[in-house]
Amino acid sequence: MSRKIIINPLTRISGFMEIDVTIENNQVIEAKTKGNLFRGFEQMLVGRNPFDAVYFTQRICGICSAAHSMASSLALEDALNIKPMEQGRYLRDIIHCCEFLQNHIRHFYQYTVPDFVKIEQNPLLLSDHDDFRLPKAINDRISQHYFDSLPISRLAHQMLAVLGGKAPHNHGVFIGGISTQATAEKVVHIDSILQKVTQFIDEKMIPDVYDIAHYYQEYFHLGKGYGNLLTYGSFNNYKDLGTLYVDPLVSKNGSLETFDEKKIQEKIDYSWYTSKKSTNQPSEAVTEPDMDKEKAYSWVKAPRYDHLPFEVGPLARLILSGEYDNRISAMDRTIARAIEAKKIAEIMKILLQQIIPGVDVQKKYELPEIAAGRGLVDTTRGALGHWLEIKEKKLSFYQIITPSTWDFSTRDNNGYRGVAEEALIGTPIQNPDKPAEIGRILRSFDPCMSCATHVYSPGRQVKTIKVF
Amino acid sequence: MKPHILPPEPMTNEAITSRLTNTVIDNINKGLIKKKNLVYLELNGCSGNIISLLNGQNPDFEYTLNSMVNIRYCNSLMASEGEQAIEKLMNTLDEDYILAVEGAVALRNNGLYNVIGSWQGKPLTGLQAATMFGEKASHILAVGACATHGGVSAAKPNPSQSVGLQKVLPQKKMIKLPGCPVHPDWFLGTLAHLLLYGEPETDNMDRPLMFYSSLIHDRCPRRPFFDRGIFAEKLGDKTCLFKLGCRGPVTRVDCPTRQWNGHVNWPIGDDTPCIGCAQFGFPDAMAPFISYDTTKVVKNE
Repeated sequence: MSRKIIINPLTRISGFMEIDVTIENNQVIEAKTKGNLFRGFEQMLVGRNPFDAVYFTQRICGICSAAHSMASSLALEDALNIKPMEQGRYLRDIIHCCEFLQNHIRHFYQYTVPDFVKIEQNPLLLSDHDDFRLPKAINDRISQHYFDSLPISRLAHQMLAVLGGKAPHNHGVFIGGISTQATAEKVVHIDSILQKVTQFIDEKMIPDVYDIAHYYQEYFHLGKGYGNLLTYGSFNNYKDLGTLYVDPLVSKNGSLETFDEKKIQEKIDYSWYTSKKSTNQPSEAVTEPDMDKEKAYSWVKAPRYDHLPFEVGPLARLILSGEYDNRISAMDRTIARAIEAKKIAEIMKILLQQIIPGVDVQKKYELPEIAAGRGLVDTTRGALGHWLEIKEKKLSFYQIITPSTWDFSTRDNNGYRGVAEEALIGTPIQNPDKPAEIGRILRSFDPCMSCATHVYSPGRQVKTIKVF
Repeated sequence: MKPHILPPEPMTNEAITSRLTNTVIDNINKGLIKKKNLVYLELNGCSGNIISLLNGQNPDFEYTLNSMVNIRYCNSLMASEGEQAIEKLMNTLDEDYILAVEGAVALRNNGLYNVIGSWQGKPLTGLQAATMFGEKASHILAVGACATHGGVSAAKPNPSQSVGLQKVLPQKKMIKLPGCPVHPDWFLGTLAHLLLYGEPETDNMDRPLMFYSSLIHDRCPRRPFFDRGIFAEKLGDKTCLFKLGCRGPVTRVDCPTRQWNGHVNWPIGDDTPCIGCAQFGFPDAMAPFISYDTTKVVKNE
């Protein structure tokens, strides 16, 4: 006897997602993740001033806006054939570090913790399921940390603003690295905040993650997915420092391979788009929205590497860098994000020590009549790519493949599901009326998209309860 | 008994906002003000405004959450998911609530380009939610550029046919807080005013005068360079950014004195032009954001 569960909206993610799963004998046998929001950035960018892309594309996402300024600047540098000075790269990457810290702290406390911890301070933060296992003392401690984390993630954004002008949607990241110059005062301001943030990660966040993991052991065996991992590289390839984190690398069917960007394709067989053909290279056709397409169920396309779905994000990076055992699960993903926060804080400290005050990395840039460029960079949620073309000094083409497109893709014409869809298959559901497992597994990927969710069971009446 | 002479109270924006908020919290604690319900809808946008509100310091978000209002619905933060979450949203319809909306309303395909949940087996579109909750709200706050006039979600060619909130609620009075994102003080200060004294005084575009009254240009610390005709030629320069495309002369908001993220910096402090994100018409009317052509050649216009 199969039954369908629909969660719409999946809350505590950035944007909107609907998830439809089919369960049989209380096990998931089929899953569809649906992106339910469309704005059409790739079409909007055509005809605009190329420099504007750095600020414009940040509006794709409120929690990881600096990521898009990074990819956009890299793509423009590629197109304009500009090699940024190392000082510019350091400062730009420090801004990027701040976003990692802000995102990972918010994702863990504001998005993940309510799945496992009974936060009784405010009805908004109390989950509906009844699978809370933490002993009272630990539960209360982490509940308090939910609130303690807010000033810390805020400080991470303040560090970002010291160099980037404001956050979200910073002004500092630009072609050549950064718009402004470092001063001793700014370096010290950031360093003093970084100490507080690092202390919080060491003393609260990491112990909290391991405490949760201890009481929810089965999540080390749930939410694996296909097990293929990909990174475009992160904080790597500095002239003097070498690689501080990880170089571009893939792990396919358990073995490591060098990364080759020619192997990236995007498929749209099950997405609400039309295009001349259903499989494209990133630098090819822009797709048109089409909600009437048969079989299609999502605004998310299906990027593939070497025809296979790949997982991206903190766990993929940590495993590929050799700093984490090759274990892939929902809980490993959540632990990896906390460990990565510590790693990023260490990298940021190293970068800060390289800063020379007063170096002006900016020039007056000339736009070419015709050019093409791409920017590939690993960001908070994984591999992000921007591909652009310039004609008559205007953008004539823009393509964006976000990390969540990799993790939350639709299925494809070869029968592969998206990574998160596959991660749900086989999951035992304890209580189909209040499934806690689905949201926990999906949130372990830190989805950043737009969708909506509800648990729907045919024939069940929804009671309206008055709450005063 | 000698009378005490108190020092004058600081009259900076930050000090006034924080006095407002602290008064609200005091009055709520004394039982003089009843906590109101707040419904926070995220529609067609990037959810950057709720992230910006988490950055609020004066008041901070923890205060707002625990002391100022009962947030009854918020996609980014609430623990409930799916049908239970939408049920909590629907339950507020029978009560008194303030509605805050971020993101634009997508009209295309009957609103299906932005589905925010499912209710009774059907998709609940942003369009339906905006009209349903807008009609019954005691006050409405349009938060950020997408909600106030469509913003980046409605940028040309506007594939999702996104519009600002007022377009789908033409008869309703609403307070508009443009910005991309909104500064947390603009939102929390307006909310504090609502709770204490009712709706704040607004201009003819529905923006609270306490935040949106003077041009950036008129309070810009680089104004002396403009007055003397000394202009930056590239980002990173310390002089007036007007010729690089700065929108300070047409943007009414208090960034120069308030600054961002705990008042530490702002776009011009970062040696970049203002892109007019708090002005109606952003982004298209403000493009290009950055231009190195200090001489413009107008082609066949």
